[in-house]
Amino acid sequence: MDIFLQLIVNGLLLGGAYAIISIGLTLIFGVVRVVNFAHGELLMIGMYAVFLASQQLGWHPYVSAIPVALMLFVTGAVIQRFVIQPLLKADPHIQIFATVGVSTALLNLGLLIFGADVRQISPGFGAESFQLGELSIVSGQLVTFLMAIALVGGLHVFLQRTYVGRAFRAVSQHRYAASLMGVNVDRMYVYAFGLGAACVGLAAALLSTQYPVFPTVGSYFTLTAFVVVVLGGMGSLYGALIGALLIGLVDSLAGYYISPDLKEVVYFVIFILILVVRPTGLLGLGRGSE
Amino acid sequence: MKTFARKCLSLCAGFGMSLIAAGSVAAADLKVGALYPFSGGLALLGNESYRGLELAVEERNAAGGINGQKIALVKADAVDANQAVGEARRLTSVEGVSAIFGSYSSALAFAATQVTELAGVPYFELGAVSDSVTGRGYKYVFRSNPTAKNFAEGMVDAVTHVIAPALKVDPKSLKIAIIHEDSLYGTTISGFQKEKAARDGLNVVEILPYSAKTVDLSSLILRLKGAKADVVMQTSYQNDTILFFNQAKAAGFKPKALIGAGGGYSMADTATALGETLNGAFNVDFTQYETREEGAPGLKSFVALYTKRYGTAPRSGHSLTNYVGAKAFLDVLAAAGSTDKDKIRGAVMAYKKPVGSTASGWGFEFGEDGQNRQAKANLMQWQNGKLVTVFPKEVAVSEPVVGR
Repeated sequence: MDIFLQLIVNGLLLGGAYAIISIGLTLIFGVVRVVNFAHGELLMIGMYAVFLASQQLGWHPYVSAIPVALMLFVTGAVIQRFVIQPLLKADPHIQIFATVGVSTALLNLGLLIFGADVRQISPGFGAESFQLGELSIVSGQLVTFLMAIALVGGLHVFLQRTYVGRAFRAVSQHRYAASLMGVNVDRMYVYAFGLGAACVGLAAALLSTQYPVFPTVGSYFTLTAFVVVVLGGMGSLYGALIGALLIGLVDSLAGYYISPDLKEVVYFVIFILILVVRPTGLLGLGRGSE
Repeated sequence: MKTFARKCLSLCAGFGMSLIAAGSVAAADLKVGALYPFSGGLALLGNESYRGLELAVEERNAAGGINGQKIALVKADAVDANQAVGEARRLTSVEGVSAIFGSYSSALAFAATQVTELAGVPYFELGAVSDSVTGRGYKYVFRSNPTAKNFAEGMVDAVTHVIAPALKVDPKSLKIAIIHEDSLYGTTISGFQKEKAARDGLNVVEILPYSAKTVDLSSLILRLKGAKADVVMQTSYQNDTILFFNQAKAAGFKPKALIGAGGGYSMADTATALGETLNGAFNVDFTQYETREEGAPGLKSFVALYTKRYGTAPRSGHSLTNYVGAKAFLDVLAAAGSTDKDKIRGAVMAYKKPVGSTASGWGFEFGEDGQNRQAKANLMQWQNGKLVTVFPKEVAVSEPVVGR
């Protein structure tokens, strides 16, 4: 029973890590309607920034969270403005190729600058674990989990209450109609992409306490992030959170009760089954919302 | 069309190279090929391996070469299996080399040997570890270095000969867990471990494969904890090694001993990333530089030679491995007294050196399959941030520390 509880806790906490990465991806998709294949590489840039801040300035990863998020906001905005925007009226697959191109370029830039070596921060708080009764919990994982929930809540308020948030929703519903209502669509896209990238910056800071950074680190997380986003319903924030927690739980339980090398098989089977029943994902808006 | 153009190109390049070679090489020189990945992802360690061969050849030439002939190395860059085939063809048919040395990577060795065997040119493998390189019934493929099987058996032997005695318990009473990443590397080594452990009557309680790209090993660690594993053998790359140590520490899982199969356990970066946490971990690998000179005569002078020639200390054990193998095979070529492939095979079979007589501590004695039987992987341990050799005794620089 203790082991079962521990597995549930581990799964939920792992789900928190998946969630924090998926939120930015689903936001970008929901508003800009671009599948951002460079998402993992944005995470890599963020993690290197956190690593450098820790190594050169002695900053704890949690301290660098805000500056790194701002830096990635700018990076994301630049990508949107100069790579995606010129292609907005092109076919979706052209936009996808553009983000794949950005991904490859950033990955190789990382290899060029930092080499293939693995680097790890030893932050103290965030890497250590504490006991809660019989359960052992890693502090950084708990922080990540709580931050993921807070971020979803915060973004929800932002989308409902602020002008920019409402403009995001208007643009995502109908780009042309929104422009007729006086919304500057291009600017909203730049903001949305930037905000999505900033979420990845936050994720980078939170994950740096537990994971080392290397140029291909993004590929370790992005496949799962895409699964989470599709599972939750593309563009749905709450969907992404629920999807991430679900995948985390399956990962943990299947890794123990079935076999560590088969856990991906199990969650992909579940993923396919859910999509068969609900093709738009758990909280998707139904057919035609994409 | 594209392949045709590529063939033309490689042909031109081949002619160009052979012209250059013909210009600089005197008629009486003995030409041998050096087939390594000099560019691409494997380039760093491919180049490090080549340096070992280069040093052995330069040393031999300075001492008069082979039976009065100077040795001329013809470099061939093999980035992948396709290129290995192309370059092996160039070496055998255009360059007309008497033998080929290689190759660092098993995939390259597989591909190149298929060409050399057909062409009847002896192939000397100095670094690739996959067992099947010499297990395919080829007559003219020979290998000096230990194989994946030696690695796996070295890990199991570490339990019987080092860990159990240090804990003062019967090896059969220890609960052993085998965990490995699930690509060819991990699967091959763990397969041999399983066989060897069963032969030795050891108690294997868990065999858990996992994907090297996983971001969570906490379930696997809970399984190991649940099975009360005393000894964990891990075959892993760098990232999963780091993840495993971090998560095991967080979960409070501390087995009596951890043994790695080279890979992530051998890299200095792993030590930097993990710091203290890695101390005490065992590792089985090719001979490294923290090894006792008595059991590996010539090790210090190799390091000195290397440093003098390249201006830096050796970057990994690969150069040493290749140097020792190349020296042996150059002796063989001298003993054969001819470039006839059967005379060379005869000389390889007749070549014998006792264990502990070379700079890596290996001996030489070749089996019918062309594999050196006297090359073993050593057991090392991370102690105070350094990877030091702890077993066998003849080459150990430090005592193994277990269960502290």
